[in-house]
Amino acid sequence: MEEKVIEVNFGPQHPSTHGVLRIKVKLDGEIIVDAQPIIGYLHRNAEKLSEMGTYPKALIYMDRLDYVAAMNMELGYVLAVENLMDVQVPERAQWIRMLVVELNRIASHLVWLGTHGLDMGMLTPFFYCWRERERILRIFDEITGSRLLYNYMSIGGVYSDVTPKALEMIKEWESDFVDKLNEIGSIFQKSYIYVARTKGVGKLSRDDIISYGVTGPMQRASGMKRDVRKDTPYLFYDRVNFEVPVREEGDVYARFLVRMEEMRQSAKIVSQVIEKMPEGEFYNKKYSKPMLVRLKANGESYVPTESPKGEFGIYIIGDGSSIPYRVRIRSPSFANLSSVPTMLKGYKIADLTASISSIDPVFGEVDR
Amino acid sequence: MISVESETKLKSGIRVVYVPKENIFQYLKERKEEGFDTLLMITGVDYRDHLEVVYHLLSTRTNERLVVKTKTDGEVDSVTSLWKGANWHERETWDLVGIKFRNHPNLRRILLAEGWVGHPLRKDYPMDKKQYVNLGDDGEDRVSFDNKEGY
Amino acid sequence: MSDSILVTSLDEALRWGTGKSLWPFTFGLACCAIEMMSAMGPDYDWARFGSDVFRDSPRHSDLMIVSGTVTKKMAPRIRRLYDQMAFPKFVISMGSCASAGGPYVRGYSVVDGVDQVVPVDVYIYGCPPRPEALIQALKMLQDRIVAGKVRH
Repeated sequence: MEEKVIEVNFGPQHPSTHGVLRIKVKLDGEIIVDAQPIIGYLHRNAEKLSEMGTYPKALIYMDRLDYVAAMNMELGYVLAVENLMDVQVPERAQWIRMLVVELNRIASHLVWLGTHGLDMGMLTPFFYCWRERERILRIFDEITGSRLLYNYMSIGGVYSDVTPKALEMIKEWESDFVDKLNEIGSIFQKSYIYVARTKGVGKLSRDDIISYGVTGPMQRASGMKRDVRKDTPYLFYDRVNFEVPVREEGDVYARFLVRMEEMRQSAKIVSQVIEKMPEGEFYNKKYSKPMLVRLKANGESYVPTESPKGEFGIYIIGDGSSIPYRVRIRSPSFANLSSVPTMLKGYKIADLTASISSIDPVFGEVDR
Repeated sequence: MISVESETKLKSGIRVVYVPKENIFQYLKERKEEGFDTLLMITGVDYRDHLEVVYHLLSTRTNERLVVKTKTDGEVDSVTSLWKGANWHERETWDLVGIKFRNHPNLRRILLAEGWVGHPLRKDYPMDKKQYVNLGDDGEDRVSFDNKEGY
Repeated sequence: MSDSILVTSLDEALRWGTGKSLWPFTFGLACCAIEMMSAMGPDYDWARFGSDVFRDSPRHSDLMIVSGTVTKKMAPRIRRLYDQMAFPKFVISMGSCASAGGPYVRGYSVVDGVDQVVPVDVYIYGCPPRPEALIQALKMLQDRIVAGKVRH
């Protein structure tokens, strides 16, 4: 009897892919021989449209790149443009930016946790994680006016101040968040089936990580202690205490543990920020009317930041006019997803959903 | 040792070097052996009379960053044998800007449908001529300029 | 006797049954999908309106919620999935990208609205719309089905 290799298509609509991803899988019995991802089903030409408008107008496209962590995307763009134009930002605005960025990191990891449980067949963590996430989204509703896509940061500061009512809500949230998080984590860690399904699955070695350019929690779960907030600090990350979690194994269970610990560390940063935040202005008055002031920029700039998925930055080339010449988005999920053929080779087909969901791809960012 | 043509800095302090396009593979190989072990991204830029390819490198031991640029008129050597992650970045640069990479194992379109005509991020791409996509019986895409043949 | 017997016609009973138990099809494309998941979640509970189960196969579901931007590469696949659903079937187009192209309307690879691909019953505007807007759209669709004002 001859062995045949059959080809199966995980189409763009599939209940367990985190968006529109298509994978062509070659199977020999139950073992995966080859897996090629096909992307491009959400290509919304953000880069070309940014070249057709002014600098403040391109901010709305940056929001919609990684739509679960929109504040991080806006921060990457705003830091690069302010660096290009030499804009001074007041101190209170930088502390407010740190606060919303860390809150959004927790919200993004909660989305990952809920959908990861759904992929592994567990329905309860989905509801628990979304209940916690709603509390954070109500805080954002109070500060910015919107739940998911904010358009909150501007060149020179932020759009509105953090009111005393918002600070009350944050203090009430952080008083019991870590206990609830430990409760959700124990659902996963005490489940024998979950641990058996994820230990030893989807391993990436250190050489593969460096060769593919993978960054973020996947890199930290394979033994490399790298975090842009500690290596090249931006905003005021050198004035707060936090740790970077690292694990050695490199499998799906290690990535789960790294992301859980990151949420606890982010909560620690939030409680330090609301104590250290000074009074003052929250925007630079000279740039308060961007439609009247035509902001011109000349030169090139790239400022790396740490988004929940990895290293994120925007490489801007300006030619002296008020319209950007080239806006190139370095998206972490694009590089993380290109490691799929190496990650899946030799494993069984039931391990495919666990591995893909541990990468945590967001397709607004992969396809741009 | 390959020497550089010229050197400058980005506004945020990262070093930028210009290298002629015949020596780009050798230069990047030397930098990789020297310690710049991560390739962050590959970009293509269309300056109306020539094209440029930009490489962003990072060293994980010393935290140093380096930007390498080269001018070309359409073809450059591929670096997939040095970094496996360059595969998808080069496919995207071919797809959107139109720069061909020699010795690439699989140079096909990645973000747009197969059969698309033109490279959209060039400055002379006609935005008013729309193309339409439909699905053939074999499961692959068919692209045409006719309004009635697709969406 | 009169409060234990219900008199109606078969048509009305069928329309009432169809409208009050619509089973949606998981079809999240982009950012609006996260708000759709919030509407399913514990705070804005969607299951109290009859749609507790999200079926994954198009053959088992009768409501398709297109949430997110429709690109040219994805549009023929949407048409194929719509053709695989069984009658009676309904479509809600959620968000301004699916209704009219959204902020990407000048692009080269975006379809201006999903009504160029499938026939739509209810449009929702917003970027992204709040979960309460999605629940209002569901109620609107249910009322129209019960009153008999839909296509089939």
